Amino acid sequence: MSDAEPPELSTSADPPAVDPPGRRELLAAALSFLLGAVPAAIGGLFFLDPILRRSKGGGNDGGDQTMDGFVKLDITPDNLVEEGPPVASTVIADLDDAWNRFKDVPIGSIWLRRQQGGEIIAFNSICPHLGCSINFRRGENDFHCPCHASSFDLDGGTTNDTPPRDMDSLEIVVATDGRPDPNGTELWVKYQNFRRGTPEKKPI
Amino acid sequence: MKALIDWFDHRTGFKELMHEALYERVPGGARWRYVWGSTLVFTFMLQVITGFMLWSAYSPSTRTAWESVYHIQHELTLGYLVRGVHHFAAQAMVVLMAIHLVQVVIDGAYKAPRELNFWLGIVLLQIVLGLSLTGYLLPWDQKGYYATQVTTNIMSATPVVGDQVQTLAQGGTEYGHLTLTRFFAMHAGILPTLLVAFLALHIYVFRRHGLTVRDENHAPETTFWPDQVLKDAVVCLIVLAVVMLLAIFKGAELSAPADPSVKFDAARPEWYFLFLFRFLHFEVINKMGVTFGAIIVPGIIMGVITMMPLIHKFLGEFGHTLNKAFIWLLGAGIVVLTTMAIIEDREDESHQAALAEAHRDGARARELAAGPDRIPVDGAVELLRRDPFTQGPRLFAKHCSACHRYNGHDGRGTMVVDKTGIALPTAADLGNFSSRDWMRSVVVDYAGHFSWQKNAVWFQDAQKAESAGEEVIYLNPDDSEMATWADVDSLHSTDNAENLTALVEFLYAEADLGYKPLDEDEREAFNNPLAANSTLTDIGRVVAIEGAWAGDLEGTSCVDCHTSLGEDFVAVADDDADGYPTLAKYGSAVWLKDFIRNPGKARHYGEKNQMPAYSPQQLRDDELDLLVRWMTHDYLPSEVHDYENRLAELSESQGTSAGTGSIGASAAEE
Ligand code: FES
Repeated sequence: MSDAEPPELSTSADPPAVDPPGRRELLAAALSFLLGAVPAAIGGLFFLDPILRRSKGGGNDGGDQTMDGFVKLDITPDNLVEEGPPVASTVIADLDDAWNRFKDVPIGSIWLRRQQGGEIIAFNSICPHLGCSINFRRGENDFHCPCHASSFDLDGGTTNDTPPRDMDSLEIVVATDGRPDPNGTELWVKYQNFRRGTPEKKPI
Repeated sequence: MKALIDWFDHRTGFKELMHEALYERVPGGARWRYVWGSTLVFTFMLQVITGFMLWSAYSPSTRTAWESVYHIQHELTLGYLVRGVHHFAAQAMVVLMAIHLVQVVIDGAYKAPRELNFWLGIVLLQIVLGLSLTGYLLPWDQKGYYATQVTTNIMSATPVVGDQVQTLAQGGTEYGHLTLTRFFAMHAGILPTLLVAFLALHIYVFRRHGLTVRDENHAPETTFWPDQVLKDAVVCLIVLAVVMLLAIFKGAELSAPADPSVKFDAARPEWYFLFLFRFLHFEVINKMGVTFGAIIVPGIIMGVITMMPLIHKFLGEFGHTLNKAFIWLLGAGIVVLTTMAIIEDREDESHQAALAEAHRDGARARELAAGPDRIPVDGAVELLRRDPFTQGPRLFAKHCSACHRYNGHDGRGTMVVDKTGIALPTAADLGNFSSRDWMRSVVVDYAGHFSWQKNAVWFQDAQKAESAGEEVIYLNPDDSEMATWADVDSLHSTDNAENLTALVEFLYAEADLGYKPLDEDEREAFNNPLAANSTLTDIGRVVAIEGAWAGDLEGTSCVDCHTSLGEDFVAVADDDADGYPTLAKYGSAVWLKDFIRNPGKARHYGEKNQMPAYSPQQLRDDELDLLVRWMTHDYLPSEVHDYENRLAELSESQGTSAGTGSIGASAAEE
C-alpha cells in the first residue's frame, strides 16, 4: 500500500495546507480500506450464498412431491414379507440441481422391511458414520457398511461402536391414491438425508 | 546483443536479480540433501502447465465433468499424457512434501531464526493437500465422488461451524453442479494463487537466512549455480521420468460416472490418505466420536508439528530430539496403517468384488462413450442406467439370485452365502441361458439340467409327501416326460447326432440372441456374432416340427407336445394352453418377459410352477427389459472383462454338502 510515492504527484493533487496531515492520512487510509472492503464484501457474500440461501429456505430439495415431502415408491406393501429379508428400493423423484431440474431420476435408495407384527420400517441406505452406503449381508443377516465396518441389526440398531447412531429411519406411510390408508397398496416415504458423523439425527 | 542486455538491465535491474537468485552461497558444498525444495517447485510448475491445459478442455457440471475428462483422456491429442502427468505429479508432490518436511525436521532447519519459514511451509502443505482433495472430485467419477463425500462429511464433524463449512464447500446441502464449480474454482483459482503467494514468501524468507548447513567442512563452499542447480536438475529429471512412466504405463484411472443412487462399495481415499482411513476404522476411535478421530487427532498431530520450533526453543537440544522422534514415529505409524489398509483390502473378498464391479462399470462406461451413439446430453450416467450389460447383473442379484445363479455366482461375481457357507441354488444356473449349450442340455439331459432345484425345500417336501403316499403335483426333473423322452438311447446315437445338432441350432435361433440396435441403419449394418447358422437352423426346424429322427425316436417330434414351437410367441389364455411349457420363441426376449411375469400360467409351468411371478411393482417394466436384454445379450457387444465363471466352486460345495445332507434336506428333516 505504501509503495513508492511519487512526491510531485501527491503535492500537486492535494490543496496545500488546507487539511492537517493527520486528517489526510486518515482519509487516505479510510478510502484505501473502502476500496478493498467493498469488492471483498460483495465477493464474500456471493461465496456465502449456499448458507444464506439455506436460511431463506431454498436449497436443493426435489420438486413435485404430494403428501408434503413424501415420495411414492414403486414397491408395494405386499412385496414385503413379514420378518423377511430387507428389500432395497430406489427413490425416484424430481431433482433440482442449481439451474437444472431432472425429472424422475433416482435421488437415493432405502432399505425396507416388514417387522414381526406387520409394521413396515424404512431406512436411508446412507451410513450415519461418514456417508458410504449400507449393504444387507445375507450371510450375517445384518446391515453392514464396507467403508469403516459399521454394522447394524435388522431393526437398524447399532451392533458395534463404529457408527455414531442407529441407521436413519424414514417415515413411511401406507396409502391409497396418496391418502394414508393402512390397507392401501401404495408405499410413500419421506426421503431425507441426515447429517453424518453426529450422535443426533439432524436433517440436512 | 550486449548493448541490448545492458539497455534492458538499466531499465529493470535484472542482472542483479539473477545474480542474487543464482549465486547464493552454499557453504559446505552442493549436496543431494538440499534438492527437495527445488523438486517441489518443479512439480508445482508441472502442475501449472498441465493444469492450464486440462482447464482448456474441462467442463465442470454433473453432466459434463466426467464426459469432458473422458474426452481429454481418450480423444484429445496426448490427453492421456497431460492428465496422467497431472495425476501422478500431484501424488509426487505429496511424497516430496513429506520428504522435505522430514528433512527439515531432521536437519533442524525449523529452528530459530527459521521458525517463521517453517510455518510458511506448513501452510503450503495444507494448500497442497487442499489441492489434491479438490482435484480428486473433479472427474466426477464414482471413486472421487464417494471418497470426497467422506471428506466433506468429516468437515461437517468440525465442532460448531462444521455444518456451514460443509454447505459452503459443497455449494449446498447435497452434491451437485455447484459442488463442482466451487471445487474447480478452489482447485484452479484460489488455492494455486495462495500457493504462489506463500511459495514466494517461503523462498524469500528462506533466502534471508540461507541453507541450514549441517557440516560446513563437508566440501569447499560453492554457489547455487551451477553446482547445486545441477544436482537439483538431476533429481527433478528423475521425478519427471517417474511421473511420465506412470502416466504412460499405468495411466490415470477414470471410473464410472458418479451416480448417487448407485452404491459404491469400493470407495477408498487416495493412497496417501489411506492411513487416516484405516485409523478411522478402529472401533475404539469411533467410540470417541467422528470428530475425535477425524479432526481432533489429525489436528493435534499438525499442532505438534507446528509447535516444533517452540519445543526446541524451550527444551533446547532435547526438544530437537523429541521432534525427530515424533516425526519418525509418525512416519512409522503412517507406514504401518497404510500397509494394514492395503493388506486388509486385498484379503477382503467383498472389497475385491466391489473393486471388480467398479472396474467393470468404469470400462463399460468408457466403452459406451466410445460407442456409435457417443454420450447423450443427459450424460454418461444415463448411458449406464440404460445399459443391460451394467444393470442386468445388479437386477439379477437383487431379484433372481435367491434361487438362481449366474455361472455359479449371484450375477455380480459374488458367491451367495448363508450362515453355513456357500448357499446352493434351488433353481437353474442361468449363466448360459439360451445358448447352444443350454438348449442341448435341456434336450439331452433334462434331468441333469434342472437338478439344482432338488435342493429346494418345496422339492424335498413334495418328495416326502409323495413317499408317504400322498398325491402331489410338482416338477420332478428325474421323473418327467421330457426326461423319459431324452433317455432313449437313439437320441444319443450317431444316427441322430446331426439331427440333434440341427435341432439345437434351431432352438438357439428361436431364442434370437444378440444386440438389436434401436437405430434401423445401425441394426442392418450390425453383424451379429451370436447369429445362428441358417442352413443348420432350417434342418433343425424340420427335425423339431416334422420329427425326422432316426431309430426309436422315429415318428416323435417336439410339436407333439409343445404345439406352438416354431411359431411366434403368443401369450395364450389358460384354456387354450396345450398343457406343456410353451416353446414358441423359447428363450427369446418376448418369451422370457412373459415367463418372468407369469411363470404359473398354464402356458408355462402351470400347477407345477414354483417360481414367484414378478409384478411390475417388484420389477418395473424398464427393469424387466434391462434384465431380459442382458440375459439375451441384447446390448452393445462388450470387450470388458466380465465376472469369472464360478460354477466349479458351486459344484464343489454341492459335493461337500451332499455328504452331510444339503441345507434344504436338513431343513426338511426338522
Ligand atoms: S461410512 Fe459407513 S462405516 Fe464409515
